[in-house]
Amino acid sequence: MFLPRSIETDHKDLIHDVSFDFHGRRMATCSSDHSIKVWDKSESGDWQCTATWKSHNGSVWHVTWAHPEFGQVLASCSFDRTAAVWEEVVGESSKKLRGQSHWVKRTTLLGSRTSVTDVKFAPKHMGLMLATCSADGIVRIYEAPDVMNLNQWFLEHEISCKLSCSCISWNPSVSRAHSPIIAVGSNDNSPKAMAKVQIFEYNENTRKYAEAETLMTATDPVHDIAFAPNLGRSFHILAIATKDVRIFTLKRVRKELNSSGGPTKFEIHMVAQFDNHNSQVWRVSWNITGTVLASSGDDGCVRLWKAIYMDNWKCTGILKHHWSTVNVGSQLGN
Amino acid sequence: MEKMSRVTTALSGSALTGRTMHCHLDAPANAISVCRDAAQVVVAGRSIFKIYAIEEEQFVEKLNLRVGRKPSLNLSCADVVWHQMDENLLATAATNGVVVTWNLGRPSRNKQDQLFTEHKRTVNKVCFHPTEAHVLLSGSQDGFMKCFDLRRKDSVSTFSGQSESVRDVQFSIRDYFTFASTFENGNVQLWDIRRPDRCERMFTAHNGPVFCCDWHPEDRGWLATGGRDKMVKVWDMTTHRAKEMHCVQTIASVARVKWRPECRHHLATCSMMVDHNIYVWDVRRPFVPAAMFEEHRDVTTGIAWRHPHDPSFLLSGSKDSTLCQHLFRDASQPVERANPEGLCYGLFGDLAFAAKESLVAAESGRKPYMGDRRHPIFFKRKLDPAEPFSGLASSALSVFETESGGGSMSWFVDTAERYALAGRPLAELCDHNAKVARELGRNQVAQTWTMLRIIYCSPGLVSSANLNHSVGKGSSCGLPLMNSFNLKDMGPGLGSETRLDRSKGDTRSDTALLDSSATLITNEDNEETEGSDVPADYLLGDVEGEEDELYPLDTEHVHPEEPEYVLPQEAFPLRHEIVDTPSGPEHLQDKADSPHVSGNEADTASLAPVDSSSSLLSVSHALYDSRLPPDFFSVLVRDMLHFYAEQGDVQMAVSVLIVLGERVRKDIDEQTQEHWYTSYIDLLQRFCLWNVSNEVVKLSTSRAVSCLNQASTTLHVNCSHCKRPMSSRGWVCDRCHRCASMCAVCHHVVKGLFVWCQGCSHGGHLQHIMKWLEGSSHCPAGCGHLCEYS
Repeated sequence: MFLPRSIETDHKDLIHDVSFDFHGRRMATCSSDHSIKVWDKSESGDWQCTATWKSHNGSVWHVTWAHPEFGQVLASCSFDRTAAVWEEVVGESSKKLRGQSHWVKRTTLLGSRTSVTDVKFAPKHMGLMLATCSADGIVRIYEAPDVMNLNQWFLEHEISCKLSCSCISWNPSVSRAHSPIIAVGSNDNSPKAMAKVQIFEYNENTRKYAEAETLMTATDPVHDIAFAPNLGRSFHILAIATKDVRIFTLKRVRKELNSSGGPTKFEIHMVAQFDNHNSQVWRVSWNITGTVLASSGDDGCVRLWKAIYMDNWKCTGILKHHWSTVNVGSQLGN
Repeated sequence: MEKMSRVTTALSGSALTGRTMHCHLDAPANAISVCRDAAQVVVAGRSIFKIYAIEEEQFVEKLNLRVGRKPSLNLSCADVVWHQMDENLLATAATNGVVVTWNLGRPSRNKQDQLFTEHKRTVNKVCFHPTEAHVLLSGSQDGFMKCFDLRRKDSVSTFSGQSESVRDVQFSIRDYFTFASTFENGNVQLWDIRRPDRCERMFTAHNGPVFCCDWHPEDRGWLATGGRDKMVKVWDMTTHRAKEMHCVQTIASVARVKWRPECRHHLATCSMMVDHNIYVWDVRRPFVPAAMFEEHRDVTTGIAWRHPHDPSFLLSGSKDSTLCQHLFRDASQPVERANPEGLCYGLFGDLAFAAKESLVAAESGRKPYMGDRRHPIFFKRKLDPAEPFSGLASSALSVFETESGGGSMSWFVDTAERYALAGRPLAELCDHNAKVARELGRNQVAQTWTMLRIIYCSPGLVSSANLNHSVGKGSSCGLPLMNSFNLKDMGPGLGSETRLDRSKGDTRSDTALLDSSATLITNEDNEETEGSDVPADYLLGDVEGEEDELYPLDTEHVHPEEPEYVLPQEAFPLRHEIVDTPSGPEHLQDKADSPHVSGNEADTASLAPVDSSSSLLSVSHALYDSRLPPDFFSVLVRDMLHFYAEQGDVQMAVSVLIVLGERVRKDIDEQTQEHWYTSYIDLLQRFCLWNVSNEVVKLSTSRAVSCLNQASTTLHVNCSHCKRPMSSRGWVCDRCHRCASMCAVCHHVVKGLFVWCQGCSHGGHLQHIMKWLEGSSHCPAGCGHLCEYS
């Protein structure tokens, strides 16, 4: 069962993203009011705002945490055409009071000529790297070669998607058998129906990202995309938020069949499709083990989807905001 | 009066029609201005000065005002303005400081009317008086504003901006005599046109240059200013001190600002660098533009609403040499495309959910999908200036917490902490882990551990009490199945199936294993076999309920025959059973079958259905009693590990991998193992289970993993006696030749966890130091240092 805890955010406009850190003890929110707020969980379980700052000159679309190995680092992206990397600097006091920490902008990633719509840090084993995508349809991958120096980021790759991008997701697998993969979703709503999800894979030989797959079935604007935490799986699970919730599995076609050196292809199956939101679906988010997917839509509800057994997904809960009832079908998480 | 008449013309005339369109100009535009009839637009730039007619489908060039053979700097326009009362009257500001007026009524090709050469530097802005036909105002880079009476040859009055460059001048619509001017130093001045000696009022509006200003058309004394500081500010000029009413933050410096007709709170802006778009803002929602026009490919230099009472047509000129007409309904609306929700799954199964309040508030009266999203807020419907503003959009944030603290991931933490992975015999480890899993309510996992133990451990170690316990907990549906089920009753279906399996693939392995099993079994002790029966059976079907009754019987019948058992249909039914459907009934052992089992070995060739099916259970006996090499099960165990991994329970995969060690390692390729290890370690670290994580790293056999806790870990140690850095390995100081790792409390050499103060190098056993520090904050060695341990 879930207990809703309502938080007074004091954001002056819409909140576009909320993000937990690696250990689940901190939370960052970003809003159209140009600000980012950082929340820390107190002993009693309350979320307390410990930092708020004006971060951009436009709506801040996304905020995301880097792996704590790199420090307390956030990245944000905005309508103002920039992405930024922020680091928490703790004051000189040896007591390290949380309240005395403040966030410093380490870099501004220019380059996009349009709104930067998403930013995501790469999995830790790839180093300190992040990808942004923008409304002009370009995915940019930046790397900080020196993890101690967050001021210096280099643009390593530019991938053209030809469609206005809205969301990206790194494949989180740590396996050496899986080369880095980025899935990009587009919310382009121009009438020509094109596939809105593209998957790019890093090719070791060419040292470039190349298009590996396109989800031909996803033709409606895609608002969010998320690879499930991999956790030792040999395949990948990808959720997209479009006019409904969809879950795909990506299984690699064996390399021998594709020895031409081109991008390895995937066998893609749509294992679930739910239109229970009965409206636009805005966000999808996986639990830590990649076994439960949460989605939220225009109906103002969060729905939880769980694989009962392989490839069979069921709704296990509907969460509504504080004044509504909360109902969870079955035990979750395991 | 004038204004009224214009209103009438606008209302009586036919409505404006048109579409979003653009036309190519010969050269970049610097400014545009619309004729009062809303049917023509003038475009001026360094090398262009043309009038276009705005038709329904296109722009049509009407007149080129750049005439004459030699190019004159007088024609290089920085600004242009069309008189709002006299359709024939235009004024331009030239980059060489000349103010020119043009009379379209002149019969000759050259329409130039008057030339005022009073400014010394570029004239940035010209402005006609809204109601007085002959009054023209100019503002120049040279810091002066001049007021001209078009009936005279030179300026009427000069206003000094104290050597600050003037960027914009605008007559007030409200006060006949008032105009506002903006300056490069960030100031805005209000002047009375009759008082050129000093300004009425001055205030600092922006940091850096104020590029533009615009009076609110509905004469409310509101002035909008835009500056290089990327802000648009709205000032109420009616109060004694100019009061900042609104502040809009844009993404680039603001070059032009124009109030939108008929929409009290809307204004359009464009930028002079970087940003080529035109934005329309609702000043009450200062963070998000209400609309955005993205047609231009270079800096937009001039914007003008086509008609003073029509809010839907916007004209713009740009450095990209195009002239555009934008239709408001064709604008892209960032607000609409913006994601109104945020959702994040927390580590402990809690969910943070932020959503637009309107989405979560209105429950019952919600319209479905399409209507809901496609016709929102203010501008899409028939515009009504008095329409109440829906208010700032805001979001509600909730964190849905899983109940009872740890929540739905507590099983993971508990399991990780309580599992025993090494340091004890395999059987004990399995039992322990099975117990842990069972106590956490994870029966399937518990079963797996039990089975592993059965598979890999010598049977004598099984304690029947434990097994009974596990079975009782694990099976809820055992009894009815037990009673009703009989392998014989299953009919030939299963039997034939298994027979097929066997005849196809298993014969070879059967014979191969036969010898070894036979030799081993001769040493077998009866007691052991009896003990082993229970788990064996258990392995096959965990729905067993009353094995106490069953097994004695079983053993009696089965045991004597064992040595001769052929290994029967092992892998496939078994694997399936264990992995996917733990409660599958088809392998239930039945008393009635045991005799048949004994007959089985004789019938190997004939493979009667009944015999073959009953031989299923004999497998287990054979396994046990003969201590079949665990290779026999490797396929099964491997598949099980893969199954857990694919299900997202990498914890189980890794734990089993570690506990079984060499027994399964060779069956799983190195890369997969590494993948599991790193995934699990990552997960452990998420939960801050550092000790477990380190243990896993230590126990792992994958080279890439086991070096994880050695990377970039350097300890710099000082000797606790001489306080010099210790260079050599080990704990004996090079210099003073004493053992440095003495506990300051008990004076013994510390083995294991050693904690020391980085300030004075003294330390000792963790417990001792902790205890010491409860009573004192000074160093236990007596050095007087106030030690800090964190």
